Amino acid sequence: MAVQQLDVDNVIEARREYNAGLAAESKGKRVWQFPVLLLLVLALFPILQVTDGYNYVLHLMLYTFMYVAMASSWNILGGYTGYISLGHNVFFCIGGYFSGMILAYFGVSTLITAPLAGLAAAAVGFVIGSVTLKMRGPTFIISSIALLMVARILFDNWHFVGGSNGITLPQLHLDAQWMKVPYYYAFLLIAALTVWTSYKIKHSKFGLGLRAISQDEVKAESAGINTRFYKVAAFAISAFFVGMAGAVWGEYLTYIRPNIFLVILVAANLVLMCILGGKGTVAGPIVGAILLIAFNELSVVYLGSSELNILGTGVVMLLALMFFPTGIIGTLAAKKKLPRFLDWD
Amino acid sequence: MPELLEVRDVVAGYGRGPAILTGTSLTVRPGQVQCIIGPNGAGKSTLLKAISGLLPVRSGEIRFEGERIDGLRPDQILRKGICFVPQERALFPRMSVRENLRMGGYVIDDKKVLESRIEEVLRQFPILRERAHQRAGTMSGGQQQMLAMARTLIVKPKIVMLDEPSLGLAPKIVQQMFEIMHMLKDRGMTVILVEQNAIMGLNNSTWGAVLDLGKTLFEGPAQEVLADPRIKELYLGKAKAAA
Amino acid sequence: MSNVIQIVILGLALGGVYALMASGLTLIFGVMRIVNLAHPVLIIAGAFVTFWLFRLYGVDPILAMPVAAIALFCVGVILYKLIFEKEAASAKYSEMTVLLTFAVAMIFDGLLGWLFTNTQRVTTPSYATDAIFIGDVFIPTGQLYAGVASLVVIGLLLLFLQYTRFGYAIRATTQNRAAAQLMGVNVGLVSLITFGIGIGLAGAAGSLVSFIFSFFPAKHWEWIAILMSLVVLGGMGKLGGVIAGSLILSVIAAFVGAYIGSTWSTMTFFLALFVILLVRPQGLFGDKIEEA
Repeated sequence: MAVQQLDVDNVIEARREYNAGLAAESKGKRVWQFPVLLLLVLALFPILQVTDGYNYVLHLMLYTFMYVAMASSWNILGGYTGYISLGHNVFFCIGGYFSGMILAYFGVSTLITAPLAGLAAAAVGFVIGSVTLKMRGPTFIISSIALLMVARILFDNWHFVGGSNGITLPQLHLDAQWMKVPYYYAFLLIAALTVWTSYKIKHSKFGLGLRAISQDEVKAESAGINTRFYKVAAFAISAFFVGMAGAVWGEYLTYIRPNIFLVILVAANLVLMCILGGKGTVAGPIVGAILLIAFNELSVVYLGSSELNILGTGVVMLLALMFFPTGIIGTLAAKKKLPRFLDWD
Repeated sequence: MPELLEVRDVVAGYGRGPAILTGTSLTVRPGQVQCIIGPNGAGKSTLLKAISGLLPVRSGEIRFEGERIDGLRPDQILRKGICFVPQERALFPRMSVRENLRMGGYVIDDKKVLESRIEEVLRQFPILRERAHQRAGTMSGGQQQMLAMARTLIVKPKIVMLDEPSLGLAPKIVQQMFEIMHMLKDRGMTVILVEQNAIMGLNNSTWGAVLDLGKTLFEGPAQEVLADPRIKELYLGKAKAAA
Repeated sequence: MSNVIQIVILGLALGGVYALMASGLTLIFGVMRIVNLAHPVLIIAGAFVTFWLFRLYGVDPILAMPVAAIALFCVGVILYKLIFEKEAASAKYSEMTVLLTFAVAMIFDGLLGWLFTNTQRVTTPSYATDAIFIGDVFIPTGQLYAGVASLVVIGLLLLFLQYTRFGYAIRATTQNRAAAQLMGVNVGLVSLITFGIGIGLAGAAGSLVSFIFSFFPAKHWEWIAILMSLVVLGGMGKLGGVIAGSLILSVIAAFVGAYIGSTWSTMTFFLALFVILLVRPQGLFGDKIEEA
């Protein structure tokens, strides 16, 4: 009797240790300190403006935030569900025009109307998605390119919004030194929100469903996932943040014009950032955005022409696809060499 | 004198997945109808795919008339004289029956030989002649299977491998398929037959082999395999109960 | 009435050229399930070959077709060997291949833009600006010749596919790759040659494009969507479908252009694409026999 009792204690003890180990592991895995610290540093960064002269850096940073937001947003659809959209800048454009037109006619800053622009983009995304997401594989990609072309024709010929010349937007009344700061915070906020949403989705039942769709849509459907709704919802969410980014971008540039939003290079950048960093991972699009923007800046400085930039982007994309199809995060994770501070999945 | 076909310790599987064949061996002698039986997932179809070259062999070797053929492409293996009729029948759905027969003789360089052999097949199978210009994809399952088997007559291979020719066909049609199989054998081909219905398969064969868990377990003359109490218990029980 | 006849003839001529532009695309998709987004930029590469032959040596653009085709055939073979061989072996559609071709499209776009700058170009053989009058019907000879030349090339392609042994192998591989292998077809070789032929057709189309449209490297993005809509319309990988689809849509687009406005004639293709995808996802001329 006593011996048996001992055994039970042992088992209970072992189980307790095991559970404690599991808990420690899961706690250790989610490093929240690094993102929060990073955010804090980035939030304090504009103080340097007091000393003047950091406008270029500020511009590059807010530009990066914008692409972090858009790439992370694209990733919710393209990375999690595997539906590659090469026309996602349509929502960039919708957001830009929605808030831009309100600014031009009513003088309300896009910083205020950006969430509305996001909703407008999401609504359009929901409608378009319910149509185009009926297609799978290559036809979906083709439809997304066609969507971009349709949008370009429409906006180029829509006289109310200025046609292909677009319209000019009023500027904020600030010194050049502080001119960029509001947009800096706006884009930082949008980027943080997008990444947080992307993380939340990935760790939710919804995200699990999305990833199941990318693995095998038919099986996901037979497992009881409402794939139609999931896909369309992912499409709308991913349109939302792109639309918000577009809204602020227009005011920042002080004009909106079809050819700043509706060029395929923007869509290519989103795709490439996700591939480079790691499609379907939370941190991937961030790493990809930073790398690609750095690459673009360097190539503009050293190579000059935009043709060479396109060529270079193509080469990088080709090499990434051929040799690191799972991206930096994916490759490192597979080799178990991913630094803890980047492991957000 | 080497055996016609020797499979030794073959390991194979799909993609990066686990091995389905885990060291399969099999010897095929000329003039036999060799029936391979075994439960679902035993690796019967996988074995035929490995022999035909559709599936790469991870280790072990396959020899045909003493010569190694593992690692060759399917088209090279066909040219050596091994023809495979898979379960899916391998037809070209949007080609006519005649075009399918012509594809069957793709490896024949002499056009006249090819045409005369097509004629020969059409003479033997009047149904096919009737439907010579019909798209293969629009024919019934039995007719498609007939076309797939008849097509092997064009290349006149030394070995023809049939993967469940009876699959999804009505019993009367199944009997027809076995008749065609015997005809192939009478033309001097050695037949390797994979059959789900073990009793029917063995009854139509001269030699039997039992494959399970990726390994060959028993081998012997078909009637002896059929009579073996162990095999009866393990692999024929259900079929017997059904019959 | 003569107006209608004229629009139909122009539509058919342009449709012939579109058919040639899309034929290589559909051929490659059929055999390898590769959606080649780089196809239009390679058409422009073919146009550049023709342009320089015309400019430097005065070679007639139509006569330059074989040269452009062979040059681009070689480009296709090299691209296949370097990039697509592994992808083609699986013969399944994957998003990976689309992204690869997208990258290739950017590379050629940047390369051609860097070498020749993004300015509008056009070859100017004498017939490009001529016209024939038959009664009241006015037909620009350039478009007429281009349409006829396209249909001749497509005719040769169809004869090749229908009656040669290699053509049989290509068709067989399109319909059932594993079966083709079992019939003794070396599908690796078939894929390589088909890829070459497909890109070669892009080159040939480029020669014609060089005098009926003005072209510049970045123009291909517009064409991607148009050509893709033709491929989808024809039933992904079905050559006959793509030809019929091109002719029909181009005639419709010509009417839209004549009566509503030229901007909207391009829209015809995209609207047709969306309608088709919704109503008949297998394409206007696709059938459901095939399981892939």
